[in-house]
Amino acid sequence: MTSPEPGRLPPADEPLDDADFGVLDDIRELFEAVDPMPADLPERIRFALALRDLEIEVARLVEEDQLAVAARGTELSRTITFDSDSLTIMIRIDANQDGTVRIDGWLAPPQCRQVEMKTAVDPLAATSDSQGRFAFGRVRRGTAQLIVHPAEPSSGNTRSVVTPALII
Amino acid sequence: MDEPRPVTVRANQAGRAARMANLLSAARAGSEDAIGQIVSELSPLLWQVARSAGLSQGDAEDVVQTAWMRLITHLDGIHDAAALTGWLVTTTKREAWRVRAAGRKQLPADQDVFADLPDQGPGSEEQVILDGQRRALWLAIGQLPRRCQELLRMIAFTPRPDYAAVATALGMPVGSVGPTRGRCLAKLRALLPGGPDGSLA
Repeated sequence: MTSPEPGRLPPADEPLDDADFGVLDDIRELFEAVDPMPADLPERIRFALALRDLEIEVARLVEEDQLAVAARGTELSRTITFDSDSLTIMIRIDANQDGTVRIDGWLAPPQCRQVEMKTAVDPLAATSDSQGRFAFGRVRRGTAQLIVHPAEPSSGNTRSVVTPALII
Repeated sequence: MDEPRPVTVRANQAGRAARMANLLSAARAGSEDAIGQIVSELSPLLWQVARSAGLSQGDAEDVVQTAWMRLITHLDGIHDAAALTGWLVTTTKREAWRVRAAGRKQLPADQDVFADLPDQGPGSEEQVILDGQRRALWLAIGQLPRRCQELLRMIAFTPRPDYAAVATALGMPVGSVGPTRGRCLAKLRALLPGGPDGSLA
């Protein structure tokens, strides 16, 4: 243990010097090696931010579960819940036989809204029913994002509710 | 021993400020390319902020993404690079606390990154191998108080012109003429093999 000699501590209140910058560069390289940002994260963020309308309400991912579907053995069903100021969105993702996935969703409080599933290919559109249910029967696996479009202006909800980009 | 250091962020500071201000105004006008460039530049810092807060990899990805989405709704109030970086760091920390408070998928306390210190022993091929210098730095950082570890990790990823804004966002004192070394960096320098007057080289 090499404890520093008294008085040899560089003063804390001096401006940063070249040796400090050198140490900070070394720390950055160290953490780039031991805890690197996932290489695909910036691309996923760019996907999430590619929106026609920047007047959005952000829906945060608040819960995610994977449940084994008993009847289909090892198959997993994934449920994800998002919360925004005005809306809770819950989705359940199940695998289809053909390699795509089926997505069933619920909006709370229940309401009829236009729901868009943005994907790497064409966006998909659905409408929730009066119970707040909506579904996309076949969605290609990959990056996807849900956008719940504004309701009628008279209802007070004039912003789109947007989830983060997911890997499905 | 005396290899030249990579010049990571020491480039023209005024040029960066002007470039970031232009990117910000293009982003406000809806340019996806401008937002994309800002995302590339600042996401590595936000990743370290989220991971320093003790989040798992998956939660850190969600939190960094959420911070960027929230920025979209706040672009009108942010006009310079330092304010942007400070806002993003503060928002990422706040979103990380929110996830931790909800108790969602959080790492047990003994699973933080320092518990994963590569031991470089036989059979550790799967782990990151740290050379002598980096290992010395790793061990020195590990001797600092937890708060100092987090602070230095975040500051190390901050573009230099934005140090003061980020230091303020992190509750670190800033001198009247700009960022000072601070207690954490002073302590670390004293622990390094080169001693307080030298860097690692």
